[in-house]
Parts: sequence; structure tokens; C-alpha cells
Amino acid sequence: MGKIVMIAMVLSMLLSASELAASQISLQNACLSCHEEQQIPSELIYRRYLMKYSTDKRMGKAILHYLKDPKKSHSIMPLQFFLKFPMKKALKLDNTELKAGIKQYLEKFDVKKKFVLEK
Amino acid sequence: MLSSEKRSLARFLLIYLLSTFLLFSVASWIFYRSAKHHLLDRQKETLKYRAEHIESLLRVLHHTTGKNLPYPDGKDVQSAIYDVDKRYIFGSIKPTQSLKYRDKNRLYYVAKIEPYYLGAAYLLISKTINYTPIIQLQKNIILFMVAAGIFFTILGFYLGRLFIAPMRESIERMNHFIQDTTHELNTPISTILTNIEMIETFGKEEEQSEEFKRIEIASKTLSRIYDDLTYLNLNNRYNRDIIILDMSRLVEERMVYFTAMAEAKRLRIVTTIVSGISIEMDRNDAFRLVDNLISNAIKYNKPNGMLEVGLSKKAFWVKDTGVGIRKKDLGSIMQRFKRANKSEGGFGIGLDIVSHIVKSYGFEFMIHSVEEYGTEVYVTWEK
Repeated sequence: MGKIVMIAMVLSMLLSASELAASQISLQNACLSCHEEQQIPSELIYRRYLMKYSTDKRMGKAILHYLKDPKKSHSIMPLQFFLKFPMKKALKLDNTELKAGIKQYLEKFDVKKKFVLEK
Repeated sequence: MLSSEKRSLARFLLIYLLSTFLLFSVASWIFYRSAKHHLLDRQKETLKYRAEHIESLLRVLHHTTGKNLPYPDGKDVQSAIYDVDKRYIFGSIKPTQSLKYRDKNRLYYVAKIEPYYLGAAYLLISKTINYTPIIQLQKNIILFMVAAGIFFTILGFYLGRLFIAPMRESIERMNHFIQDTTHELNTPISTILTNIEMIETFGKEEEQSEEFKRIEIASKTLSRIYDDLTYLNLNNRYNRDIIILDMSRLVEERMVYFTAMAEAKRLRIVTTIVSGISIEMDRNDAFRLVDNLISNAIKYNKPNGMLEVGLSKKAFWVKDTGVGIRKKDLGSIMQRFKRANKSEGGFGIGLDIVSHIVKSYGFEFMIHSVEEYGTEVYVTWEK
């Protein structure tokens, strides 16, 4: 019985680690690498989402909606933005991968971690 | 000032001051609430300005990228930002504090932020209430109440004296009348009584006719009224000569004195006087006490009735089988000029004098009466 529990725990840990690795890879490969290459300011986009939606949950929903169906009307960026940067194609990632990537993105630029109290 | 005047003045002052105090308290409370609200509003106004300032700093901060975002808080205020779902984001106010949380010693102001700079939809700003102006306001109100209290007490006292002036005048008129009457009565009564005594001593028995007895009774009645009026006129203020008084002898003497009056009404007299009873008392007070109770019992008795006079180590009592006193009059029977039964003559001063004497010596007075059956009065000096 003890062995079964041990095996289950090890398998679960391995699965979580592989999922995390997969999502990190997918975020970097599928999103940020391209953004960096085209010099699209990821943090600026995050702040725009934050200014409009306020919470991670609402932001995540809006980003997912855009990523599944990338249109100018679904984007947070102004129309002039697309004069310089072409509209991207829909990502070939499933829902779980997209959500994991969005979570990573929100955590990366989260402002709560950056706030400090002035002395 | 007479005790009745003092009572009236005290009652008037009590009602006047209580109603004035109540009125001023309500007015002061309303004023205090309004002024306190105004003072707090002024303090809250500064929070609004601070909120606008913090909002503008958040706008600047929203466009700032860097490792750290210094939260724009002030030294004199505390604040925190909340997201659109009213969840705490950051601030100098504790994260456990919700938007609805209120500490009664602090002032709060919630500003809505639109658009949501750094995700902030609400800004809660707070500062400690400055109680100095409120305490000063309370002090001023208390000072005003004290000053108004003193002013209205003085005013009430003068108004009260003004209102009782007619009563005082009428009492003074009555006192003057009593004074004049007693003065005028003194000489003829003394003359009549001296001459009766002379006739009794030197005259012949056959001369003491029924008419002569009536004159004697009437003269004694007049003499007693004179003594009572003199006692009242002095208003209970004379130097008492407290001696060890042989009450047994005094009561027996007074019974002899009233015999003629009792016989005139054909009363059956029962005396239960224990001999050798002495108490510390002024002689005149004892006379007034005994005389008034016995004369009342004779006066209000029915013809052929019974008069019982008793004296023990502890008490003196008088019982009669007279007209009695109505239950509703028993409470006020001791008041001056109060006459529960007007069938007989009198001024209604007898029991008032008894009451004064009983109070002066710390005795206990009890009266039991059944209308149409009789009255029993007890004066107890030893419990």
C-alpha cells in the first residue's frame, strides 16, 4: 500500500514538472520570443489589459478570447498599432496550454509584486 | 420665610429648572451633533483632496516600468487600493481591512478610480480623527450649560419670590390678624378666669349654677385658643425650657381642667394613667400636646360618648367615640388650617401644633379613625 502511494506521488510530481516545463516552453516559444523579435512591448500590453480589466481573472478571460480568435476588435491595442504590427495568426495550442501560458504571462508582469511602501 | 413658602418656592424652582435644563440639553445636543458633523466634514474634505492627489500619482506610476513601484502614500494619511471585485491590491492600510471596515476613531473616504490604473478600481483613504476641536466644542457647551444654569437659577429664584409674594402677603395678613386678636383676647380672658377662680374659692356653692359652668367652659375654651394662637404666632420659635416633666401629674391636671367640658357633653371618662411617668420636655409644649388632643376628643365626640385618656411609660393616647375622620382626610389632617369636620368651631390649628411638637421631640404620631365610630391617637416617645 505504501509503495503504491509513493509511486502515485512521484508520478504526480513528475507530471506537474513536465506540465510546468511545457507551459514555460510554450509561453517563451509561442509568445514572448516572437514579441521580443518584433520588439512588441509585452509589459505595455499587460498594463493596457490591467487598466481595462483590473483583475487577473478578467484579464485572463479577455486574453484567452483574443488568442483563440485574434481580431482587431478583440485586441486591447489601438487600431494604429496594427499599422505597424501585422495581425497575428491563431496559436496552435489547446485550451490548457493557452491558459497555462496566460497564467505565466500575468505572473511575469504582476504589479502587486512590484509595489513597495515609501519610507 | 415660612416652610410652606419654602416648599412652594422649591417646587417652582425644581419644575422651572428641570424644564429649562431639559430644553437646553436637547438644544445643546442638537447643536453639538451638528457642529461635530461640520468639524468632521471639514476633516473629511482633506481626505478627498488627498485621494485626488494619490489618484494622479497612480496614473503616473501606471506608465512607469521598473523593478519597483513606490506606492504613493502620505505621512498623515493611510490608503489602500482595491480591484474592481473589491479585493485588496496594496496599501499602507492592513490587507485584512475590507472596503466596508470602519474604525470609529478614524475617518474614511472611498474614491472610485476610472480607468483602473495599476488595476485599482477603488482607493480607500483614512486618517485618525483629530479630536482637539471636538473636545473644545464639548468644553464650550458644558461651560455654556453651567453659565445658563447659574443664570436661570438666579432668575428662577427671583421669579419664584415674585410669584409667591401674594401668598406671603396673605399669610402675613393672617398672622397679623392672629397677633392682634390674641393681644385683644388676653386681658378679658384673664379677667374672666381670675374672677371665676375667686368665686370658686370664696363664693358659695349654690352660686355655681349651670350658667356659671357654661361661662367657665367658654372661658377655658377661649383661654386654650389664646394659648394655641400665641404658640402659632411665635411660629415654634421660642426658647424651650427642657425639664424632667412629670407627665402623669400633668395629664391628671389637664383631665381635671377638661372635666367641665366633658361633663357638659355627658361623656364617660376612662383614664388609664400610670403614675410616676416622667419625660424630658418643655412644659408649654406638653400642655399644647395634651390639651389639643383631649379637647379634640371632647369637641368631636358624640353626646353620651366615651373619652379614654391613657399614659404609659412609652406613650400617651386619647380615644373617642366621635364622628371620626374620613379616610381621604387622614393624610392631610395635620396641615395648618385643615378642618376635616366643620360641624364644630375652630381654626384647624390644633393638630398642626401637635405635629410641630411631635417632630421637634422626635416622637412618633399615629392616628386611627373610622368615620362615625371614633378616633384613636397615639404619641409614642419610646420605641
